[in-house]
Amino acid sequence: MRILSGVIVSFFAVFILCACTIYDKIFDNPVDFKANEEQGIEAATLVFYPKSQTLTQADSILVGSFIVFKEDSTEPFAGLHLKIEFPNDLIELDTILPGQFITDTSQSTPLFTYNYEDGNTVDIYAYFLGTTKLDLDGTGHLADLVFNPLASGSDSIHYDLSECTFIDHLDSEINVRGIRGAEIIIQ
Amino acid sequence: MKVLIYHIIFLSTIVLAFDQDATYLVLNHFDKPLPGIDQTLVDNFNNSSFNFDHSVDVLFDDLDKDDNPASKYMNDIKDLGVTHSVNFVLLNKIKHIDERLIIEGMLFNTRSGGLIHRRKINVKNYDNGSINEISLWVGETKNQIQKEWEKERESIMFLNPEEISYDKTPMGAALRSLVVPGWGQAYSGNSISAGLWAVLELSLSLAFISSYNNYDSSSKSYLQNRRLYDATDDEKEVSAYRASAEKDWDDHVMYSKLAIALASTTITGWVSNSVHAWVFGPRPYTNIYQKGMPQSTIPKG
Repeated sequence: MRILSGVIVSFFAVFILCACTIYDKIFDNPVDFKANEEQGIEAATLVFYPKSQTLTQADSILVGSFIVFKEDSTEPFAGLHLKIEFPNDLIELDTILPGQFITDTSQSTPLFTYNYEDGNTVDIYAYFLGTTKLDLDGTGHLADLVFNPLASGSDSIHYDLSECTFIDHLDSEINVRGIRGAEIIIQ
Repeated sequence: MKVLIYHIIFLSTIVLAFDQDATYLVLNHFDKPLPGIDQTLVDNFNNSSFNFDHSVDVLFDDLDKDDNPASKYMNDIKDLGVTHSVNFVLLNKIKHIDERLIIEGMLFNTRSGGLIHRRKINVKNYDNGSINEISLWVGETKNQIQKEWEKERESIMFLNPEEISYDKTPMGAALRSLVVPGWGQAYSGNSISAGLWAVLELSLSLAFISSYNNYDSSSKSYLQNRRLYDATDDEKEVSAYRASAEKDWDDHVMYSKLAIALASTTITGWVSNSVHAWVFGPRPYTNIYQKGMPQSTIPKG
């Protein structure tokens, strides 16, 4: 009886101490301007989504390029130039597609082109050609980049902020204050 | 040699003086009638004179609560001595509490008014021994105990009290309360206390379970919303999942603290309940047989 009582009380105490775990409050989605601010990266921010991915050599690597504005201080834009650097010893560029944001969710066909010459950088140029509006406003998907693995390892792709430009329909430049790269792990 | 002879003469004088001229006013306060007790005393102690007065019934209550019980009723005793022309007042009280028989005897000297002899007996299932015990008690005060009275007492007493094993023990009560709150108190026969402990612990346990369930659902909801938050690249969904996850996080912290506080209170109460069951657990009502004057009631001065 004594052993049983001891076991009951001990079990109860251990159960409570172990059961009531407080989870870490972690929010780190690159598309979330609050998460970027928490990391000291101001909006407007150029980011990749997902921020990290682990793949095998048989997989294709899909990375989305996004512009993230703060909810209450968006700036309309119409054209953009992105300069993206990637580790060409680890991955090779396969395809670049326009994002849903600049195609106005597939309602319009933007001017979209890119320049890639077998190096580790790619330049993407796009201009919004909407039928009912001149500019895009807010956070959105700019492009999808598809890569193929070349070797095993890990590295990151990132923007060259000094070469990235955003303009509105009057050719006024929009100030991009921050960038976030994306980690790629090939197993 | 002369000194020894003087002592013998002195003691004999005292004994003869007490025995031959002892007159008693007997006050019997019984909660149940005890037929034949008056005549039994007269027959057993025929060298003494007994007066019986059943009208005095307000004296001698709560004697133990008084600072000086031996002299509390000094003047009343002296008055009774003068009124009834007796040397001693002999009070016999018999009470029945549940199955227990409590016999209390007091002997007062009417010349001084003080309590000179007292005895308490508290036994179980001894109804038929009341007359025998009163005879023994009076016999003790007069030093006239007959063998058959002692044999009758021995016939109902445990010869080896140390061999008595108790069916119920304080430890048994404590362990039962540790398993189920209130069980130990119920086992000790205290149903009110048992109910209170059971309700208290049940309420605390239910409050804890409720808090823990809320904590658990908040935690799961937080993890789910965080997974969805991480899995989407849609700005509006990200914002919505984050808001939900933040609310769930705050809730899971609050319910966690509440659950731990309630669990601590429940465990503390549970252990206290066990200690309470042990402290107020089943023990012998009092000594099986108590002879003579208890220490706490020894007259002061």
